[in-house]
Amino acid sequence: MDYGIDIKEQEAVVRLRGRLTFNDHAKLRALIREMLQNKAKRQILDLSALEFVDSAGIGMLLIAREEMANADKLLVLRAATGQVKRVLTVAQLNKIVTIED
Amino acid sequence: MSFDGRAPILEAGPESSGAGGKVPVTGELLSTWLGYADLQRRTLDAIQHELTRTSGTVEDATLDLSARFRELAEKAIEQSQRVEQIVMVAGSVEIDGERVPMDQLVTTMQDMIADMIANIVTLSRHAMSMVYLLDDVQKDVSELEKSIADIDGINRQTNFLALNATIEASRAGEAGKTFAVVAQEVRHLSRSTSELAERMRSKVTAVVKGVRNGHEILRQIADTDMSPQMLAKERVDKTMESLVDQTNHFQHVLETAANVSSEMSATIGHMVTGMQFQDLTKQRLEAINDSLAIMVAGLDELENRTRVELPASMGAQVPQEWLDELLGRFKLSEMRQRFVRKLLLEGTALDEHGALDVDAGHDDSSGGDIELF
Repeated sequence: MDYGIDIKEQEAVVRLRGRLTFNDHAKLRALIREMLQNKAKRQILDLSALEFVDSAGIGMLLIAREEMANADKLLVLRAATGQVKRVLTVAQLNKIVTIED
Repeated sequence: MSFDGRAPILEAGPESSGAGGKVPVTGELLSTWLGYADLQRRTLDAIQHELTRTSGTVEDATLDLSARFRELAEKAIEQSQRVEQIVMVAGSVEIDGERVPMDQLVTTMQDMIADMIANIVTLSRHAMSMVYLLDDVQKDVSELEKSIADIDGINRQTNFLALNATIEASRAGEAGKTFAVVAQEVRHLSRSTSELAERMRSKVTAVVKGVRNGHEILRQIADTDMSPQMLAKERVDKTMESLVDQTNHFQHVLETAANVSSEMSATIGHMVTGMQFQDLTKQRLEAINDSLAIMVAGLDELENRTRVELPASMGAQVPQEWLDELLGRFKLSEMRQRFVRKLLLEGTALDEHGALDVDAGHDDSSGGDIELF
């Protein structure tokens, strides 16, 4: 998995690409740190280019949400497709995290 | 009264004498009339017999049909009861002696799976938190190892300084004697510190090893992807949905079948009621027969009176044409046989109307078979 961040005034959009699995845990932690450092309140994870997420990836997304909430920021998962969208739906993540199409 | 080969002129009785009361009648006419009267009486007898027979046949057949229809109605009712029983249990399954509706069962199972997935999600999150914690602990432990190494360095320097101090103290002679004692103590202290650092190193190494093992195990746990198990819910949901649809469909079909069975038993009930036409038919035929009996009695009396008036040498004349025409009407062989027997064999006419079958004398019990010729 790799990512690119586009920081605007109100929101930071992080575009995730490839596969988000356990092996990316260090990378995701670095990403969380970056997201905490920028000023935007809304931290958008654009998942449109993410092809796959495993259960560890779901765990990491939840940790990201928690970290954002602790820093008074809002994490939004946006535009998930395919397997990622299916897993998010089945896991009923919309009960915990804000999900946008 | 004389008879000379011509038709005799007969006179009416004295009671009918008077103006216009007496008419001349030829013996031939009376003879013909007698022949007709005989044939008519026999025909009426035969018709009465046929009517009674027909009424009996209809009655037997109707009773038989009614019995069969009643049986059919009972079976249709049993059938609809069985189907209704199936309908009652079709939409539910028995679990621990309790009937659970299918849709409720599906909802319960879906909730269970949803709970399971929620647990997987929670576990994944905790596992990842743990991984991050252990990442940090590993870093801290490395720091600790580095600090112990630093202590060793400081200790070596302290030891070196204490040694120098001891040398300088011995040079100073008596004046440095006390200082030499202090330097010696510092050296002891340094040795103790070194031993302590060594003990810490061995403990820290054990901790590092434990943490690394734990981290590795946790990696394996967290790296076990449970997303396929989570996605299995989709398949289970679809299966459940299909199961519910199928059950609903079966139930619908069975309900329709139960309705049709009920309608069938009702229709058959109506048919049994409809069979009561036979009673009415029987009564009408009996009334007709009674009328025919009166006609036969009348004919008989007239015949007797006419025969008295006719000279003994003159018999009844068989009305051949009429007889031919009458017998020509009967197309049913067994009925024709009964008429022939009644009209010809019991009467005076010759048997010119075909031989009777050998078994014609028996009342054939096979009954209903109809033969046309």
